[in-house]
Order: sequence, then structure tokens, then C-alpha cells
Amino acid sequence: MRDFKSLVKSSAAAHGHLCPGQVVGVRMAMLGCRLIGLDEPTRIDQIKKLIVYVEMDRCTADAVAHVTGVKLGRRSLKFTDYGIMAATFVNLETQKAFRIISTEESRDLASAYAPEVAEKYARQLKAYERMPDSVLFRVQQVDVAISELDLPGPTRRKVACSRCGQVVRDGREVIAQGRPLCKPCAGGAYFSNARDITWPDMNRTPNTE
Amino acid sequence: MFNSLKGVTTVLKKIKLRDAVGTQLSHDITEIRPGEFKGPAFRRGHTVCNEDLCHLQKLGKNHLYLLDMDADEIHEDQAAAMLADALTGEGVRWQNEPREGKIKLVAAIDGLLSVETATLAAVNMIDEVMCATLHSHSLVKKDDLVAATRALPLVMKRAPIERAAAIAAQSGGVVRVKALRKANVGLLITGSEVYHGLIEDRFAPLLNEKVTALGCRVAGVTFAPDDPGLIRQAISAHLERGCDLLLLSGGMSVDPDDVTRQGIKLAGATEMYYGSAVLPGAMFLVAYLGEVPLLGVPACGMYHRITVLDLILPRVLAGEHIGKAELAFLGHGGLCKDCPQCSYPHCPFGKGT
Repeated sequence: MRDFKSLVKSSAAAHGHLCPGQVVGVRMAMLGCRLIGLDEPTRIDQIKKLIVYVEMDRCTADAVAHVTGVKLGRRSLKFTDYGIMAATFVNLETQKAFRIISTEESRDLASAYAPEVAEKYARQLKAYERMPDSVLFRVQQVDVAISELDLPGPTRRKVACSRCGQVVRDGREVIAQGRPLCKPCAGGAYFSNARDITWPDMNRTPNTE
Repeated sequence: MFNSLKGVTTVLKKIKLRDAVGTQLSHDITEIRPGEFKGPAFRRGHTVCNEDLCHLQKLGKNHLYLLDMDADEIHEDQAAAMLADALTGEGVRWQNEPREGKIKLVAAIDGLLSVETATLAAVNMIDEVMCATLHSHSLVKKDDLVAATRALPLVMKRAPIERAAAIAAQSGGVVRVKALRKANVGLLITGSEVYHGLIEDRFAPLLNEKVTALGCRVAGVTFAPDDPGLIRQAISAHLERGCDLLLLSGGMSVDPDDVTRQGIKLAGATEMYYGSAVLPGAMFLVAYLGEVPLLGVPACGMYHRITVLDLILPRVLAGEHIGKAELAFLGHGGLCKDCPQCSYPHCPFGKGT
């Protein structure tokens, strides 16, 4: 794994800006990988051993993903929308898993660790670099039972929605009165009032010649 | 530190006082008689007997706790011992004799107290624990109380105490006492008015008193006029004589005759910081000639009993390297109220950092 400074730099570039969340996320990922025994999580021999659950969609999540190389599309990055500044690092080979939680007190302690920095975010940035892991994080060893349907690899199952015909992958269908429904048809979708349309220039293809 | 309800009631069984005869107390029970006594009336482990019931009732106890600890839980006395051990740094000692759950940390030597304030704050942010200390940079004598710690619940999970102890133990503990070195001090009094005998010097006796009070020896006192070259020579002479700390007075101000700083530069100062965020003592100077520190004391040192010199000198003797940041950080609490009756060090002066 590259050194902390270099990881923060590339993480900030990938995320779009340098912020306290980048420092916390990079350190969280470095600690997580260390605890589960992976020193090069993006290398081909380790990449398939790692699953990371992030519990927030904040800057820190991008930094964790950047350092560990986990990706939503590879199913190695799981987003659980808890609104908690935490991430769990699972080693699929050993089944060891550690949940690392960013402490609330670290925010209050920023002024103690970087008293010479006046501006709030710059102070947090400097303080989060200086704090030992023991102050910045709490760590829990946890058991994570990962369903076969959530693992990386080929699609395990496909089912068509009994109402709209949409194909649903990997067991995400809902069974209602014994029949499978896609989640939008089962109700409670994030969108509403869906209707198919035509759109201007709809026969366009990318120019690949 | 303040979320003390957490995890307490689950592990303690409350019993009525009249049912407690024959059981052992799970903690010290404090008695306070205003102005007369504060201490444990009963110690942990004491077996409650009939004769105790009246006394306990007078102390407001109608119920007692029975300890029912799980394997991952510890008692406040064990927790305090773990904390004390982790908090204790070089020059500090503690004895495993908790009283009412508290353990005291005392100076093992005479010296200057140093507190890792950020780490202390981090420890105190953990709900179950607390540690209070004297101010950093306080001069302490052997056996002086410098800090005390305790766990807040009577019984708690072991994990947060272990975490607090890990935080406290990083970089060698939170409280340390560093011995002051016995410096060989060279005093250099600058100013043509003194050098030519127009006025009598009053600085040398004052500085002499301050350094000897801290256990140092004055190896020589020399005088120089307002001439950078002669000041340089006087500094070099002190160094050749083996002085390992120089104190200069006079010529620190902004007048054209104030050339002391030029003399220090000529003498080969490797670092020089002019100006401190302290009143009295704004025009204080710290320089280094290689390893040898040089402190430039402005004229206020002659008028005020206590100045920035009293804040910095012990720190220099304790081996601290003083630079721009150290002088700047003194600003908070660096204002002397100039009280008619000076009570320093028992006042806020210099206690802000």
C-alpha cells in the first residue's frame, strides 16, 4: 500500500477536493486493511478477498473506496444507508471482519490536536492527521454473514416481475401473494409517476468508427 | 465522561439496607462532615453488620449495590489502576491504593510538570473515565500531587477502559515530570549607561536570584556597552568559559541604542525569536548558539517581580526547545494583572497553554 500522504493526495484528486473526510477515510481504510491482513488490497491476488460496507454517503466513503479499490459494480463495495461514519472491512478468505467507527469526540478534539490552526476545516484536517488511531476510531470485531446472492461473481438468479415483466437479478424481487414483483411494482420506489416516452434524436449511436 | 448512566444499572443488583447485613460492600462509602471530614466511612469489601445500619442510614443509604460482574466487566478500582498506569509518564509515580475509586499520581522527582493536553482531552472524552491534572509547566517537588484519575461507574465494561489506557499510554503517558538541569549560567548585562558607571546595575542580582533558585550556578557576570562587536565578544567569552545557558539583559527594545540583538547575531546565533505574547515581557528574546540557549530579558524584568522569564526559564532548563510557536502560544493567559499582592505561581499568569 502506498504511504498516507500519497493516498490522501490521489484520494482528494479522485473525490474532487481535499477535505477532512479524505483524511479520515484514508486512515480508516489503512487501518481496516491492516486489521484484516491485506497490505495491497488493489493487487490482483488480494482484490477478490475484500468486501467493504460503508455506512454513509459522505466524503469519507469515497476515500475508503479509493484506498481499498472496492467498487459498487464489482460488488466489493456495499452501501448501507445508516448515516453513520463507519465502514466494515471483511476478509472473505478468513471471514475476519472489523467495523471501524469514526469517533464523534475526534471533532471536539480537533482544537486540542491542532491549536495553531484557526480555520475550522484546516484545523480538522491537520488534527485528523495527528490523532492516533485510538482517538480517531473505535473498532469492533463483527461477524458478517454475506448471502451468496450478495457476493461478487456472475448473476446467481434472474426472475421476471409478475406485473411489469422487468427482470430482477440476484434475489432482489419481492414475493407478494406468492408471485414475484420488482421493488417498484411492490411499492415504495424512490420515483413515482413513471411513464415511457420517446425523445429527440432517439436513434443516435456513439461514433466508434 | 458525562454519560454516566450508560451500562451501570445492568450489572448491579440493588438490595435494601436491612437485607445487606452479611454482604460485602462493593465500593467505598464516602462521608462528608462539612469543614471537618471527607473520606471513606466504610471501605470496599467491608462486611455489613447490624451496628453499621444506623451509620449507613445517616449517610443517606437505604439501598446498597451487590456486585454481579460478568467476565468482560471490571470494578472501578481495577479500572483506576489501569488508567493510572497508562497515564503515568517519566518522573511520575502512583500507588495502587484507590480511595473512593480515585488514584493519585505524584511527582517522583523535583522538576517541571509536562501534560500532554490533547491526549488528556482525548482520554476525558471517553464516558467512563476522568483524569484531572495540574497545569502543564508547573514547577513541582518530589511527592507533590500532580494528577488524579478515576473511573466513573462502579462497574463497567473492560473495553472502554482498555481504549482509554491505550490512548493515555501512547508516547509514554500523559503526565511527566522532567528534572531541571543545573545550568552553568553566564549573565551579560548590556547598556553603556551601566558599563560606564552612570547608573548602578540592578539586573545582575535579580537574574542571579532567579537562576540560583532553580538550582543553577552563575559562572560569570560580564558587562558590555551598546556595541554589537563587544556584545559578541562577551557572548563568546561566556561560551569559552563553559556556560551552557546565557541570560542577557538590556538593549532589547526598539531604540537606536538597543543593539543587543545585532550582537547576538554576530556571535553566531543559529536561531533567534524576538517577541513573546506575554505582558510583561513582549520584547523577550530566545536565541540558540548551537545547543546553548540564550534568553534576552527586556527591561521590564527589573520592575516586575514575575515576567515571561519565569515562564520560559524552567522550560528551557527542563530541556524544551523554545521557538516561535511556544512564545506565541503564551498569549492566552499571558497577561499579568499586576496585583498589589503578587501570588504567582498561584494565579492564572502563564497557565493558558
